[in-house]
Amino acid sequence: MATQDGLETSREGDQQVSRMRGRIFEAMCLAATAIGLVAVGILLLYVTADAIRPFSADPGWHLVFFATLVVPSTGFGLYLYARDGNAGKVAYTALGLGLIGVLLAGALVILFVEIFPYGEWFALSIALAILGAVTVVHRRYRRHAETERTGLLIVTLLVTVFGIPPGAIAELLGLPFYIPSVRGLIASSPVLPLDWIMLVPSLVLPVAAAAGWFVRGRRESNRAGLVTAGAVIVGSVLGVGLGPVVGVGVEGWMLIVLSTAVPLGLYVESVLRRDEGRLGLLFPVVLVGGTLLGAVLTRTLGFAGPDPWLDWGFLTSATSTTPADAGIYPVMVGSIMLLIVIVLTTFPVGVGAAIYLEEYAPSSGLMGRLVTLIEINIGNLAGVPSVVYGLLGLALFVRFFQMPTGSVIVGGLAVGLLILPIIIISAQEAIRSVPDSMREASYGMGATRWQTVRNVVLPEALPGILTGTILAFGRAIGETAPLLMIGMAASVRVPPNGFFSRSGAMPRQIFQWARQFDPAFLNGVLPAGVVTLVFVLLVMNGTAIIIRNRYQRGS
Amino acid sequence: MTRELTSVSRREFVAGVGATSALALAGCTQDTSGDGGLSGEVVVKGSSTVFPVSDKMAEEFMSEHGDVNVTTDSTGSGGGFENHFCPGNADINGASRPITDSEIEHCGENDVEPIEFQVASDALTVAVNNASDVDCVTFDELSQIWREDRTTTWSDVNEEWPNQEFSLYGPANTSGTYDWFNENVVGEEYSHTADHQATEDDNQIVRGIEDNENAMGYFGYAYYQENSDRVKALEIEQSEGDGCTEPSLSNAKDGSYPMARPLFIYVNKESLQREEVYEFVKFYLENAETNLVQDIGYVPSGTDLRDENLSKLEENYDA
Repeated sequence: MATQDGLETSREGDQQVSRMRGRIFEAMCLAATAIGLVAVGILLLYVTADAIRPFSADPGWHLVFFATLVVPSTGFGLYLYARDGNAGKVAYTALGLGLIGVLLAGALVILFVEIFPYGEWFALSIALAILGAVTVVHRRYRRHAETERTGLLIVTLLVTVFGIPPGAIAELLGLPFYIPSVRGLIASSPVLPLDWIMLVPSLVLPVAAAAGWFVRGRRESNRAGLVTAGAVIVGSVLGVGLGPVVGVGVEGWMLIVLSTAVPLGLYVESVLRRDEGRLGLLFPVVLVGGTLLGAVLTRTLGFAGPDPWLDWGFLTSATSTTPADAGIYPVMVGSIMLLIVIVLTTFPVGVGAAIYLEEYAPSSGLMGRLVTLIEINIGNLAGVPSVVYGLLGLALFVRFFQMPTGSVIVGGLAVGLLILPIIIISAQEAIRSVPDSMREASYGMGATRWQTVRNVVLPEALPGILTGTILAFGRAIGETAPLLMIGMAASVRVPPNGFFSRSGAMPRQIFQWARQFDPAFLNGVLPAGVVTLVFVLLVMNGTAIIIRNRYQRGS
Repeated sequence: MTRELTSVSRREFVAGVGATSALALAGCTQDTSGDGGLSGEVVVKGSSTVFPVSDKMAEEFMSEHGDVNVTTDSTGSGGGFENHFCPGNADINGASRPITDSEIEHCGENDVEPIEFQVASDALTVAVNNASDVDCVTFDELSQIWREDRTTTWSDVNEEWPNQEFSLYGPANTSGTYDWFNENVVGEEYSHTADHQATEDDNQIVRGIEDNENAMGYFGYAYYQENSDRVKALEIEQSEGDGCTEPSLSNAKDGSYPMARPLFIYVNKESLQREEVYEFVKFYLENAETNLVQDIGYVPSGTDLRDENLSKLEENYDA
C-alpha cells in the first residue's frame, strides 16, 4: 500500500509539472502566432493606408458613410447573425457571388480586350464545337472503340484548333508552310462579324443553355428552363441598346450579365424556391444602397472623399514618369498572362510527375533507389534560389531557343521551373494521403491500374493537389528575381498582345517603383501596386479554398 | 420523361444557334485589317543612370506613336552590354561610361555594330550626412577613401576631419558609375574598394548616408536633386589649389565641376534600319537638347552635340 501511495503522489507531482510545461508551450505557440500575424498585419495596414490615404477625406465624408453604410450594414448583419442563421449564410453567399461576378467580369473584359480578341474566341469556340460534334457522333456509332476515339480526337483537335503541324511548332522549326487550322482560318479572315454578334453564339448561348438546363433540372419543368435561357439571352442582348448608355459598351454589358447577373439570379431563384433565409438577400441591397446614398449625400453636401493612389486611373493606365499618372494596367495583364503560361505548363507536368512517382515508379531494387534519389533532389530543387532559375531561363530559353528576352513565354517558363518542384511535392503528398485500402478495393473489383488512378486516386487526391498548386501559383505571381534575370523590362507601357511579345509583370514594376528617385513613387505608387498584387493573391487563394471545399463536399 | 425533355431542349438549342449564325452572316461585320501606322518594338536596356532619360523619352514618344512598344529597362551599363545588347537582344543600350574594347569585341562576335551617341551629362555627386563637418574634398582624398587598400578613418585622410571610421555606400561593380569613378577619381592604377555597401539602388545609398553620421557615398546628380534636404553634397576640388566647386547643372555645363561625366546611348546599327527604332532614336536625340533632360536632373546635350548626333544618325541609316 505504502509503495502504491508513494507512486500516486509522485505521479500527481509529475502531472503538475507537465501541466505547467504544457501551459508554457501553449503560451509560446500563441505568442508565435500573434507575432507573425501582428507583424504582417501592421505592415499591410501601413501599406494600405499609404495606398488609400483615408485621412485625406473630409471628416464629414467619413461621417456620412458611417451613417449610411457602416451602421445599417453592421446592424443588419448582427441582426441576421443573432436571429436567423440561414439568412446570414444567404447574405454572405449572395455578397460573395456578386463580388466574384464583378471580378470575373473584369477578368473577362481584360481577357477579351488584351489577350484573346473576340474573333479568336469565336473561332476557337467554333473549332471546339466541331470537335464536340465529332466526338458525339463517333460515340453514337462506335461506342466501344475508345482508343480509336482518342486518336480521332487528337487528329480533329489538330485540324480544328492547332493546324498541321501546330503553328507554334512550325514557326519554331521554320517550316515554309503548314496546313492552317479551322480556328486559324476563321480568326485571320479579313472580315468578321461585330464583336457582340460573335459573343452571342460563342458565349451567350452556351451560358443560357447551361443556366436553362440547371433550372430545368431543379424545377423539373421544361418551361422554367426555356424561360431562364430566354431571360439570359434577352438580358444579354438588351446590352445592344443599354450598354453604350450605361457606359460599359455592348460587350461589357454582356459579360457583366453573364458573369454577375446570371449566377446571382440563379442563386436568388434557389433561395426563393427553398424558402430558407430569404431575408439575407436584402444584405447586398443594404450595402449597395448605402454606398449609393452616401455617394449622393457627400456630393450634395460637398464633402470631398479621400484622394487615393489606388484608384480607377491607377488600375487602367500604364506606368509613367509622373507619379500621379502612373498605373499598373499593362503589367497586370502581363502578370495574368504569365500565370496562364505557368498554369498551362506546370500543372500537367507537375501533377503527371507526381502521379508517376507515386503510382507507377518502382519502389524497390536498384531502380527504386534511383527513384528515391530523384525524389530527394526534387526536394532540393525547391530550395534553389530563384535567381538561379532566372539564369537558367536566360541560358535555356533566350540563348538556346532564341525566344525574345523579357517575353511572357520566357518569364512564364522560368517561373514555372521555379515552382515545379513545389507542385510535384505537394501533389505527391496529396496522392500519398489517399488510403491504400481504397486502391486495393478498386483492384479487388477487377479494375486496372489506369482505372484505379483515374477513378479512385485522382478524384480523392484532387482537393489536396489543387490546394498545393494554387498556393504555388500564388508564390509564382509575386516572384521577381527570375523576371529580372530573363530581362523583363522595367517600364512597359503596352499590354502584351501574345505570349511571344515583350511584357512587364506586377512584381517587376513594383521593384522599379522602389528605385525611382521621386519619393512619391516609394510612398504612394508602390503601396498602391502592392495592394493590387496582394488583392490578386487573395482572390487566387480564396478561389483555391472554394474549389477545395467544393471537391471535399462532393466526395 | 427525361428523353423527351432532352430532345425538345436540343432542338431548341440547334434552332437558336442556327438563327444567330444566320444573323451573323447576314450583316453587321467588321474589317479586321490594321490601319498601317508606325508600329513595332524598341528594346532599351542598360545603365540605371540613363534609365530615367530613356524612360521619359519612351513615354513622350509613345504618346505620339501609340502602336510602337518601347520597353525600357535598367540593367547597369555593363550588364546591358553583356547580357542583352551584344547578344543582339536589345536595340539600344544606355551607358554612363564609354563602351570598352572587350565589349566591342563581344558585340562584334554576334555581328552587332554599336553606334555611340552622347545624349546628356551628369554631375556625379559625392554626399555625406547632413551633420558632417566636411565641405570639400579633392580627387586625391577621394582616391584614398575609395581605393582597395583604403584608409579607415576620416582623420587618416585629413587631420581636420573627425577621428571616426567611414562607412561607404556606392554602386555595384556592374554599374557604369562605378567604372567611371574608378577610372577617373580613384585612379586607373588602383582598384575600387570592395569594402563598401554596394547596391544598384541609389535610394539605398541616400538612405544609408542619411542614417549614418560617418557615411559617404556617390551617385548621379538627379538623385541628389530629389533628396537635397536629406544628405549634403560635397564640393569637389580636382587637385589642391583648384578651388572647390559645388555640384550643379550649370557648373557641369560650363565645365567647372570636375566630376561631370558624359552619358551615352549605343544603338545597334542593324536595328537602326527598322523604321520604329530610327524614329525613336531621332526623337531621343532631338529631345536630349531640351528641358526634358534638365527636369530629370541631367545636363542636356546642347545644340552642337544634337546636330552632330543627328548627322551621325543619318549617316548610319541606309533607307
